[in-house]
Amino acid sequence: MSDNMNKGFDQVAAFQRLWTDSFANMASVWSQFTPGSPPSDEIRKMRGGMLKVLAETWDEYMRTPQFMEMMKGSLNGAIDLKRMARDGMNRVHEQFENPSKEDIDGVLMAIRHVERRLLDRLEGLDDRVANLDEKIDKVDQRIAKQEHAIEPRGQTSKNKAEKPAATTAAKHSPSI
Amino acid sequence: MSTTTSPNIDKKTSDEADWEAWQTSFLNEAFTNLRRFTSIPFLAEKMERVRKGVTPREIIYEEDRLKVYHYIGEGEPRFKTPLCFVFALVNRPYIMDLKEGRSIVANYVKAGFDTYLIDWGTPTRAERFLTTDDYVNGYLLNVVQHLRERNGSDQVNLLGYCMGGTLSTMFTAIHQDLVKNLVLLATGIDFSTREGLINLWTDPRFFDVDKFVDTMGNIPAEFLQAAFLMLKPIANLVEKPINLMENIHRDEFVDDYLHMETWLNDNIPVPGEVYREFAKYLFQQNLLTKNRMPLGRHIVDLRKITCPLLNLMARNDDLVPCSQTEPLNDLVSSTDKEKIIWPAGHIGLAVSGRAQKDLWPRAVDWLVQRTD
Repeated sequence: MSDNMNKGFDQVAAFQRLWTDSFANMASVWSQFTPGSPPSDEIRKMRGGMLKVLAETWDEYMRTPQFMEMMKGSLNGAIDLKRMARDGMNRVHEQFENPSKEDIDGVLMAIRHVERRLLDRLEGLDDRVANLDEKIDKVDQRIAKQEHAIEPRGQTSKNKAEKPAATTAAKHSPSI
Repeated sequence: MSTTTSPNIDKKTSDEADWEAWQTSFLNEAFTNLRRFTSIPFLAEKMERVRKGVTPREIIYEEDRLKVYHYIGEGEPRFKTPLCFVFALVNRPYIMDLKEGRSIVANYVKAGFDTYLIDWGTPTRAERFLTTDDYVNGYLLNVVQHLRERNGSDQVNLLGYCMGGTLSTMFTAIHQDLVKNLVLLATGIDFSTREGLINLWTDPRFFDVDKFVDTMGNIPAEFLQAAFLMLKPIANLVEKPINLMENIHRDEFVDDYLHMETWLNDNIPVPGEVYREFAKYLFQQNLLTKNRMPLGRHIVDLRKITCPLLNLMARNDDLVPCSQTEPLNDLVSSTDKEKIIWPAGHIGLAVSGRAQKDLWPRAVDWLVQRTD
């Protein structure tokens, strides 16, 4: 027997087990029936119990490899069908020299590549500008430091320069 | 003699009482059913009255399909740092402002936050090549820069929900200097867990992402809707309609139900490349927790997140289980971090009456204490 057939049997068995488990567990919920309470309450309780059991069994089933294989198979089938349909349509478009979805996607992709390249370049430039800014800031800081360092010296030399002026002024004043 | 007759009389009275209870119950049920049936014709009218968002708002920024809403509160905002809501790409964002008494947005607006919400819009086929990088380092960065300029603040507060939380986390890791506080709701971070069904279904042995995206382009809303329904098929397809029929005569229940269902069925397609990256890098390779998630020219390193973090998660979340969210607090470098596990589901965390009453005042207060 081929692998595919074995897989198929496994999937059927898993699906069958889902239902037998569901019914067996639901029967246990029905056995809790107490005719003393009003029927509407009892029915609600039983319904809640049954749905809980069903939900748990389905959750377990949807985690089995058999379910996942089935999901994979059906998804792949749907994708293949869509691809086939699209290929067919593409050929029709080609014959009539009309743009197809594939052509439009191609144009979009080309625009996207150009955009990406431009953005990369812009980001590169952005980085360079940021680096330059950083360097300029450093140079500014260095200049500011140097000016700061020169200033006190300048001030002292100014003072020195002022002092003789003052003395000359003083010297001159008596003569005035 | 009395000892022999008394139990019979008691039994008779108890049987009569049971019978009366049954009769009353049947009668009550019959009347309730009558009310239920008479309520059915008004369902369509009630459905038309459902509004998508309740808090007054204005559009302050637009880029391609993206819109940013600014919520208008009463009076001037108390805080300079704006708060920006980042929602997922799979649904519409009005769940954040669903209806009166069920609005997260309203909680923050009332507390005095200058509140904004990003609506990513519905992608067309032209957006199929947009990547996560475009969303995080493109749109989201532009919005954040715009809000900083508009409010004259250096940083913004980010609140991300579900996939929006993952986007916000990536953004914060790359642009930490721009984010003041990060609040996350039901956000998937560690995808190694196999607790959630989505994680199982995206297993590379059973799901070929590349083949799927290459064929589909954008991922159709119907596919996503079906996947969400299949997470809890009995609850979604059987219990929910039964509950509606049982409570169709109760206006408040119907109003809540219609608001929720309108939002749940308002799915939008996801750009193909974003879906490919999320499925491959996160669900299949779990690169975010390994600090190896590529995002354009960046690599997302969660250790670079240093801002205060509030991580909210739902205990009964079937879409993003707590085990997928909780590890984030250990992966970031923030010293101020808190997590709250709330007894609710994925949506209940945001809009349930209990969350609105007890959880959101706490979450709002958390942000109030950390915002200037």
